Amino acid sequence: MQLTKKGNISAALAAATCSLLGLQAHAEVADNSWQIDTALLYYGESDRVQLAEAVINANKDFGDEHIFNGKLVIDTLTGASATGAVAQNNVQTFTRPSGNGQYDIVAGDTPLDDTFKDTRVQLDAQWTQPLWENVRGSTGVHLSKEYDYLSLAVNGSLAKDFNQKNTTLSVGLSYAFDSIDPEGGRPVALSKMVLNNDQFASEEAYQQAFDATRLPGSDDKTTADVLIGLTQVINRRLLMQFNYSFSSVDGYQTDPFKMLSNVDQQGITQNLVYESRPDTRTRHNIYWQSKYAMDNAIADVSYRFSTDDWKIDSHTFDSRLRFKLSENTYIQPHFRYYQQSAAEFYRPFLLDGDPLPQYASADYRLGEMTAYTLGFKYGIDMGNGEELAFRLEYYQQDPKNNGFDQPGALQQLDLFPSIKAVIAQVSYRF
Amino acid sequence: MKAKLLLFIFLFYSVCVTAKQAPNFSLESSGLQGQLSELQGQVVYLDFWASWCKPCRKSFPWMNTMQQRYAAKGLQIITVNLDQDPKLVDQFLSKVSSNLPIVYDPQGNIAKAYQLLGMPSSYLIDRQGNIRQTHQGFFNKKTARYEQEIKLLLNELE
Amino acid sequence: MSKLNKTRLSKISAIILLIQLTGCASLGVQPWERDLLAKDAMALDSEGIDLGLDDHIYFSKEATSGGRAFAGGGCGCN
Repeated sequence: MQLTKKGNISAALAAATCSLLGLQAHAEVADNSWQIDTALLYYGESDRVQLAEAVINANKDFGDEHIFNGKLVIDTLTGASATGAVAQNNVQTFTRPSGNGQYDIVAGDTPLDDTFKDTRVQLDAQWTQPLWENVRGSTGVHLSKEYDYLSLAVNGSLAKDFNQKNTTLSVGLSYAFDSIDPEGGRPVALSKMVLNNDQFASEEAYQQAFDATRLPGSDDKTTADVLIGLTQVINRRLLMQFNYSFSSVDGYQTDPFKMLSNVDQQGITQNLVYESRPDTRTRHNIYWQSKYAMDNAIADVSYRFSTDDWKIDSHTFDSRLRFKLSENTYIQPHFRYYQQSAAEFYRPFLLDGDPLPQYASADYRLGEMTAYTLGFKYGIDMGNGEELAFRLEYYQQDPKNNGFDQPGALQQLDLFPSIKAVIAQVSYRF
Repeated sequence: MKAKLLLFIFLFYSVCVTAKQAPNFSLESSGLQGQLSELQGQVVYLDFWASWCKPCRKSFPWMNTMQQRYAAKGLQIITVNLDQDPKLVDQFLSKVSSNLPIVYDPQGNIAKAYQLLGMPSSYLIDRQGNIRQTHQGFFNKKTARYEQEIKLLLNELE
Repeated sequence: MSKLNKTRLSKISAIILLIQLTGCASLGVQPWERDLLAKDAMALDSEGIDLGLDDHIYFSKEATSGGRAFAGGGCGCN
């Protein structure tokens, strides 16, 4: 759920970007025939989240570059996700997010919540067509639904070609509405987790105490994106893309399943506190991509810089090199490197006795980290526009401590464990 | 009356503006004899294409039909291929049937003379050797108009 | 970064974009020189499905998302 939860928003954004991508209508489809892309993806972390995702993407040119794109994505997620609580030298007990029951984490282990199970369905539709000479327009809708989350988005964009189509300038807008209604309600920001250690007179008394930490009903947020893109042909072999994008999020952005450990000077957890994030976030992205055609290979290199008012700056470097092995096969190594700084309200734990900050999260995804992906793809052109491809990648995240002193017992514990994952994908186009 | 006069002036100028002498080139690589200028007296539909240009493919069935329909009235369709690799042209022609003459211009010299803006591009040349219409791209929904333009030029006296 | 810096950043990017645009007039190829750029694999979004799936993963696991957009160029075909 963790993954899909954020994934919803990502999907909304992806839909926006994809639709913008659709503008160029570059990889053309033959008139009046459907081009179908299918893919099955498996993402598995050792001991944590497992994700299976299926995609069907359909493209059709209804003639003279009036192009429809439809996409259906279904994914299912199981496994455990880090809660934000720190490891301890003794067994720890946690109340489940629903309030119904507890789970234990053995000594020395990073606390994970394994209650996450969810299925998500996503639908996208996009229409792109020439509007007037050298100008294309595109508009689309996006929907993503899972058990406790709904995301709806609309987008629209314009692209204009200049300079014998060597230069393309595009402008796009996307607006998304997300609604969340987690089981057990949303925790009251920075409230203490209620643990039932038989100290309650009755089950009702426990429920009352638990409910006091919860907000009823659903909450929502909106995301507005603006994108300005410039594509430039440099020469017969080289193509470049420059993007600037601005994103403004307004509403509930706290992860209702994340918490922080409140530890004493010896590093012993005194209690657990539900996290709290600001309800606005403004982000700027700058993106550069370059493609270079060699006689028997194509290089694809990109770099992204991102900065936001949560004080997270990130750098992403991505490269793919497609080598032609024969007339109809290719192999494509892939390398990606990612680095981010911590959000200003990120802290791996709270110190008991210190005043509570207004915002706090121990979600390692908001902390300092580096990550890299290493993999390859093998593709076979089967003729008649059919292609079969296999992709296998390794992804590792290395969270870092951005300057917090670890008191007492925490010094001997691994508070920033690496996360290792495998990505496997089969895709078929026809 | 004023409006009519204005319309006349506009039409007059639009004809003048578009009536540009078609740059000459040799037809020999296509199997035809001599130069483009020697086809004067015929209406020429000049189509620039390449194997890698997907919309170019769409124009071939239509051009074949036009050539059959209007050859007797004096239409000559000539295609100019801009591929750098002749192997790709053969591959293309094995999938798209065409009996139209192909002038090979791998260096793009003819394309340069015609100041091509995009691919495909086509030029309609009247019996006097003037470029009268220019089409950028090929759109199926515009084929009726293209045909009308051809018919208009064919009906003009030599 | 302060609000002021933010505005400055967006201004700078806008200026860079404009410079790029005007500077681009001399760059590029003739319409008949697009044989390599017209290849499907040269489209900026040629791996669209993979990129979409990756976006999902990385958005879920990292604090940053977006940035990539507007595949363009590649084919001079009309």
